[in-house]
Amino acid sequence: MSRPPIRRLVGLFCCLSLAFGTIVVRLVVLQVNQAGALQTRALDQRLREVELPAWRGEILDRSREPFALSIEARDVYADPRFVDDPWNTAVTIAPILGIEVGDLLPKLTAETTFVYLARQVGLDVAGRLEALNLPGIGFLAVSKRVYPAGPLAPQVVGFANIDGVGISGLELQYQSLLAGKPGERTQELAEDGRSIAGGIHVEIPPVPGSDLVCTIDRYFQYQVQAALEEAVRQNHALGGTVVVMDPQTGEILAMASYPWFDPNAPGDARPATWRNKAITDAWEPGSVNKVITAAAAVQEHALPLNQRIAVPDQMQVGTFTIHDSDPHPVEQMTLGDIIAQSSNMGAVLVARRLGSTELANYLSLFGLGRTTGVGFPGESPGIVLPVDRWTDASLATIAYGQGISVTPLQMISVYATIANGGEWVQPRLVKGWISSDGTYHPAPASQTRRVVSEETAHMVTRMLAYAVQAGTGTAAQIPRYQVAGKTGTARIPLPNGSGYFTDRSIASFIGFLPASAPRVVIAAILDRPATVYGGIAAAPLFRQIARYAIERLSIAPGRSLRLPPHALPVP
Amino acid sequence: MILGLVSLNALLAQRSFRIDDLRGRIAVLSQEQLELRHEQATLSAPGRIAEWAHRHGMRLPDDIRSLHMPSKGATAAPAGAADLDLKTLKEALEAVT
Repeated sequence: MSRPPIRRLVGLFCCLSLAFGTIVVRLVVLQVNQAGALQTRALDQRLREVELPAWRGEILDRSREPFALSIEARDVYADPRFVDDPWNTAVTIAPILGIEVGDLLPKLTAETTFVYLARQVGLDVAGRLEALNLPGIGFLAVSKRVYPAGPLAPQVVGFANIDGVGISGLELQYQSLLAGKPGERTQELAEDGRSIAGGIHVEIPPVPGSDLVCTIDRYFQYQVQAALEEAVRQNHALGGTVVVMDPQTGEILAMASYPWFDPNAPGDARPATWRNKAITDAWEPGSVNKVITAAAAVQEHALPLNQRIAVPDQMQVGTFTIHDSDPHPVEQMTLGDIIAQSSNMGAVLVARRLGSTELANYLSLFGLGRTTGVGFPGESPGIVLPVDRWTDASLATIAYGQGISVTPLQMISVYATIANGGEWVQPRLVKGWISSDGTYHPAPASQTRRVVSEETAHMVTRMLAYAVQAGTGTAAQIPRYQVAGKTGTARIPLPNGSGYFTDRSIASFIGFLPASAPRVVIAAILDRPATVYGGIAAAPLFRQIARYAIERLSIAPGRSLRLPPHALPVP
Repeated sequence: MILGLVSLNALLAQRSFRIDDLRGRIAVLSQEQLELRHEQATLSAPGRIAEWAHRHGMRLPDDIRSLHMPSKGATAAPAGAADLDLKTLKEALEAVT
């Protein structure tokens, strides 16, 4: 017996009502209760945020010619899932990319969705590949750091890695300034990755990095490097360092350390060549340090300028015997003679009159034992023993530049102080920077401090001029110009600290010109030349660079300083 | 009204195509500017110029003499300065000839 139709209809109605009710409830839940959350999830699936890299700023020389700049390039990648024929693809693109087929094939068959085939390839190479329209091969627009002048001031400029991050030199020191601020693009994309018309598209543009203007003159730098390389070759030296500085402003005009490297391919060179040895490496300065002993003695009136003292060729200090470079009878010498003839014994006698505390004080005032403030990565403060640990031997050896270590930058700053009338000026490598809107921001002026009086600096300058006129530095003479400077022959300590190599030395000459109104200070240092004398090895290098400085900086000869007649040795 | 909306839409679409074109042109010109900047920097590198000059038989002069004349507003020159300048000038001219 069948049910009456009305009851079946009511039952069906109830079922349908229940079903609809469920749907309505679910709809209310989805559309009202969870609407916001679901909309956000859906939008999240469609939105893509892409970082827009900032263009890295350039590094320019003082005339705003580029040392380092960035150009457009392409990274070539593969999605192996879409590579139809890995072997033929590898054979086709290998010669274009300059990579072996054997190196490409494993990448094209890898179990991954993304693999780099080559990075930072030129646009011409990328264009040739793009034209082939190979499935599974893609391209990313990137920038590439290039150094158009090649190995020119590479240790100063440094280099950036493949991701555009500074690794050494100014590239590292000014990373944040050069790098700029990356931007961001947010856009709504369809499932196939195409932009949805009328969808969200928000772009925060990147802020390009600032251009750094350094103090180096790249034409001067080239001449310095050429002269240094030639001097190293002629003297059969291991290497060398040259620094050229403006004594008034502290600006470094040239700075070179041989051997150097090409920053376009730093991996091809030994990492040791990446170091800017003028700033990061300390050496025992030898006789160039006598200028501090002399300046301290003049300032403290430790030895009247016209007084002669008896200088032997050797003396006993504690358990050591120290001696001059050449044997000689006891000589009567003024302070000027001691500097001109570079007498170690004379310097020791002068230092004893000064005392340890005073000499240590002047070493510190001249900036030894601490960084210069140039801020260069890896700057060495050098090594100066605390004065309470000095022995008689320390006082004696430090007087003539052994038993302490300094960087070439510290030592040229000492001479720049004398050239600048006794005022120390912090050396600097950066003149300023140009922000992305084109505004030039000069770097803050260098810090200064008074070390010795103007009269003392003037007197020491006369001694240095005398050293070039009639002392150990005659090889630095330049016709029509009065040069002031000092030779240095520094012995190299044994690795175990028990003494010094007898056959290895560092030859140096540091000086400035013209003596009466110095425009430029030059430090020329040769590492282990065949001859051990700074006057023979390094002074000619100084002279060559000084002659180029005269031409490049239009330096007038200036008046000649009257050299002290009493400085002549007594026969 | 519909005609107006359609026209406005067409105008906006046309503008957006023009903006796209200009963006593309800016990108191309920027790239070209970068390439030219790189080329200029490479060609003006001191090492390249020196090498080129050496290849063409040029060399640095052995002795360069600059003549520094006293400036117009200079204070009284020391005694004999004028003679010195004339002497230097004469020497320089003799060296040149």
